[in-house]
Amino acid sequence: MTTSTQTHTIDINALMQKQAEPKQDDEAKQEVCIKIQNFNLFYGEKQALHGINMDIPKKKVTAYIGPSGCGKSTLLRSINRMNDLIDSVKIDGKILLDGNDIYDKSVNVADLRRRVGMVFQKPNPFPKSIYENVAYGLRIQGINDRRVLDEVVEKSLRGAALWDEVKDRLNENALGMSGGQQQRLVIARAIAIEPEVMLLDEPASALDPISTLKIEELIHELKEKYTIVIVTHNMQQAARVSDYTAFMYMGDLIEFGATNRIFTNPEKQQTEDYITGRYG
Amino acid sequence: MSEIIEKHMTEKQHPMASPGYQKWRLMKDKLAAYGVTGGGLGVIVAIVLIFFYLLYVVYPLFVAPSAEPVKTYSVPVVASGKTVFLSMEEQNEIGARFTDTGHIVFFRIADGQPIKEEHIPLAENQTITSFNHGRLDKGVFAYGLSDGSVIVVKTHYKVTYPDDVRLITPEIQFPLGKQPIQLDTQSNPLTLLTLRLGEDESTIVAATADGRLMLSHFIREESLFSDEGDFERTDTALDIDASQIAFMLLDKEQRDLYLANRQGDMMVFDLTDKTAPKFLDKQHVSNGGEITAMEFLNGELSVLIGNSKGLLSQWSLVKDEHNHRTFEQIRAFKVSDHPIVQISPEQRRKGVMVADNTGLVAIYHTTAERELIKQTLPAAISALSLSPRANAFIAQTIDGKIHFWHVDNEHPEVSWKSIWGKVWYESYPKPEYIWQSSSSSNDFEPKYSLTPLVFGTLKAAFYAMLLAVPLALMGAAYTAYFMAPEMRKLVKPTVEIMEALPTVILGFLAGLWLAPFVELHLLSIFSVFIVIPLAVLCFSWCWQYLPKSLRQSIPAGWEAAILIPVIILATWFAFIISPVFETWFFDGNIKMWMKANWGIGFDQRNALVVGIAMGFAVIPTIFSIAEDAIFSVPKHLTVGSLALGATPWQTMIRVVLLTASPGIFSAVMIGLGRAVGETMIVLMATGNTPVMDLSIFQGMRTLAANIAVEMPEAELDSTHYRVLFLAALVLFVFTFVFNTLAELVRQNLRNKYSSL
Repeated sequence: MTTSTQTHTIDINALMQKQAEPKQDDEAKQEVCIKIQNFNLFYGEKQALHGINMDIPKKKVTAYIGPSGCGKSTLLRSINRMNDLIDSVKIDGKILLDGNDIYDKSVNVADLRRRVGMVFQKPNPFPKSIYENVAYGLRIQGINDRRVLDEVVEKSLRGAALWDEVKDRLNENALGMSGGQQQRLVIARAIAIEPEVMLLDEPASALDPISTLKIEELIHELKEKYTIVIVTHNMQQAARVSDYTAFMYMGDLIEFGATNRIFTNPEKQQTEDYITGRYG
Repeated sequence: MSEIIEKHMTEKQHPMASPGYQKWRLMKDKLAAYGVTGGGLGVIVAIVLIFFYLLYVVYPLFVAPSAEPVKTYSVPVVASGKTVFLSMEEQNEIGARFTDTGHIVFFRIADGQPIKEEHIPLAENQTITSFNHGRLDKGVFAYGLSDGSVIVVKTHYKVTYPDDVRLITPEIQFPLGKQPIQLDTQSNPLTLLTLRLGEDESTIVAATADGRLMLSHFIREESLFSDEGDFERTDTALDIDASQIAFMLLDKEQRDLYLANRQGDMMVFDLTDKTAPKFLDKQHVSNGGEITAMEFLNGELSVLIGNSKGLLSQWSLVKDEHNHRTFEQIRAFKVSDHPIVQISPEQRRKGVMVADNTGLVAIYHTTAERELIKQTLPAAISALSLSPRANAFIAQTIDGKIHFWHVDNEHPEVSWKSIWGKVWYESYPKPEYIWQSSSSSNDFEPKYSLTPLVFGTLKAAFYAMLLAVPLALMGAAYTAYFMAPEMRKLVKPTVEIMEALPTVILGFLAGLWLAPFVELHLLSIFSVFIVIPLAVLCFSWCWQYLPKSLRQSIPAGWEAAILIPVIILATWFAFIISPVFETWFFDGNIKMWMKANWGIGFDQRNALVVGIAMGFAVIPTIFSIAEDAIFSVPKHLTVGSLALGATPWQTMIRVVLLTASPGIFSAVMIGLGRAVGETMIVLMATGNTPVMDLSIFQGMRTLAANIAVEMPEAELDSTHYRVLFLAALVLFVFTFVFNTLAELVRQNLRNKYSSL
């Protein structure tokens, strides 16, 4: 992954910055976990993110909303550099995690991803046992002590509210679980390596309403310990689970603020149109 | 599915849809369903038919032989005298009865009607004191007379076709002249004799009533003026007491003389020098009884000995490690508890018919160690003759009857043991697994052991897989997982095109170019396997210290391309340094050095050449399927692993390969199936020597190549032909079982590791 400087976009970026400066309101004193600074991203020649600036607060749930193709998932994936896997992607700008630029050359990507866990739209357990799925993150760190693993597996499954359902069949194949259980298993797998940030990319969109509810309850519990960033299509879900909401449109961050305010009193017309269902 | 469509159509049709189109659509769907079902069934039927055809050809090998009585009649009496010998002519039409009075009565076998009677010319003072036969297939017989002379007769059956009907006319000839040959100058009666007549020389050995053993050797001298020719005769007296000798045999080479007394003491003499017979060996051969009968097995390399306890044993001269010949028992058959009185060997195969003194007759095959037929005749047997084609026999019982039987015994050579087990073949020092199906002579012992062929098949496949599996799988993993998509688009079709290369070309190159090349550059070939991996590792290590600008000029995923010159250079380097090494460490010739130091011989057509050539043929198969399997591992799994902080290498080892394992397993099994069944390459590059030697420097013969080599020359419906079909059946069952097991394992893996 190479970072290239795009000089011809600077003017536009400056303009965007002005428009999209998020209102931090009274929560301004919140401790910042991730600081996104003037972040641009290109898929080949096509620019997908335009000068994003955003401070994601620690141990809160931040939701990204916006119509399809607005760049919310791209922005999410930039936070743990999953976009590196796409060859044509070029970026500039900075994303600071606890004050350090994650795109710095000295950063070990595997290490970064351990600190910034991610859960995808489609549950993706490995074709291994439930136990081995949760232990996977530890094993790749070279931790093979059975006692440690047992402890972490139980703690993580409890943390993902799955322990009681699976404690008697830890050695069964994870692919035999229901979709909702699989998604919680994936969350357990992510929290087993104790990340600082959890990125959730539409974690409930493939699930039935009851499973969705369980995931949402889980998110509530998880924010006690982790900074959570969630992408969702479902505005009710964003309103229910998040403390902060960012509305994105066409690669721009239109508005960012406390969820309450965004949903009740948006500053931007576009935000209001989207929330009230005029497009999307 | 069609039901659903049908239901939809009848229940609720789209108002705009034309009913005709709906029907047409439905019909297409049905046609396709029938077509697919029919095709699938067709394939299954074809495979089942092939299987049953193979089985149908092989089946007669395992049919139990049978014998049934045809006719019983009184002994044809024209002249007086007891029967001393019975013989049959090839077509089973005419039999000959030899009497102790010198009469030979030819009779119709079908009903016992005498056709012709001949008698040997005896002077008034001569009586017959002994009788023996020469080679049965030559129809030679000899009478020893009371004045120490011998008269030799030969039966001849002249076949003519008057009015297009076959007519067989028996006659007798005197190959050594009508005048008796005076063997004993002291004119003592001859009590026992044996003889062999050849084209150019003949030998007669006889024992006299006063216990001397006389040997006469005749060499034909070409004469320009007469057809008869003259004989140069040499007489020798053997320095042993012949009075106890009861059985005497001389082999067709007129070289080995076997003498035995009734108590079972056997002496063997080497008559290579007729004037100075050499004692070879002495053995006790009676197996705890008395010897009651002794004959040669067809080929006259082994002696069959029947004893008074009903045991038939086969003995043969066997070369030991000092090239010295000793007389050893090869095998034995328990016929009954009664003395064996008659032994009548088959004239074209290694079978033998025996009779005991209660009327029991039995047919055995020595190589296969099979008891084929056991029947009982109403009375004890005094003379027995198995027909030249071994499809009938006549037996004279002591009550003066002749019994004519048909025998159905087409494939006696095959038994479980002769095909899979170690068999002690004639003149071999010990039991062995040997495939040697044909030779020029009629009395050759066919050796139908499939074990060396199965061994060769597995060996060839093993060495091919040894090369192909690591290369193909590692190549597949790299291509599918690390390689840049543009490069993959180039590499994958290129490797797959290798598969289209006709194997006959690969085999041809392997046999005619690679094999001599490997022989010449053996050390270089081996050093290549060491130097290339080292060079690649070395280069990768150096790579990180190269200037950054140079490194960044190679796009991600194209790293493999820059290894190509490295590999070429490494190969070149290996070929440069190997001769130097060879001079330093291996006295300049590694093949000689290995032979001298490790005792490893080198064959030009060997498993190394086959491994390389067939490995080359198998690589594309394995590569292509494994690459597809690895490439189709869902992205969300690799992404999920990477998102947990795994490195790409960890992701590949722990997630990708695991998920792709059913496909990788299939790839290897299909590759193995191909290696086992491959014919042309092994045919041309193995040397086709059916030896059982695991050494990489020795050749082998595979089942498939064996069928290809021998099927064109196998006589239709012969045992050889059917055994080749048996080899095909074994190959078929082999691949079938392999594939079925592989499929079961694969299903199991797929249930375990396939992702959503």
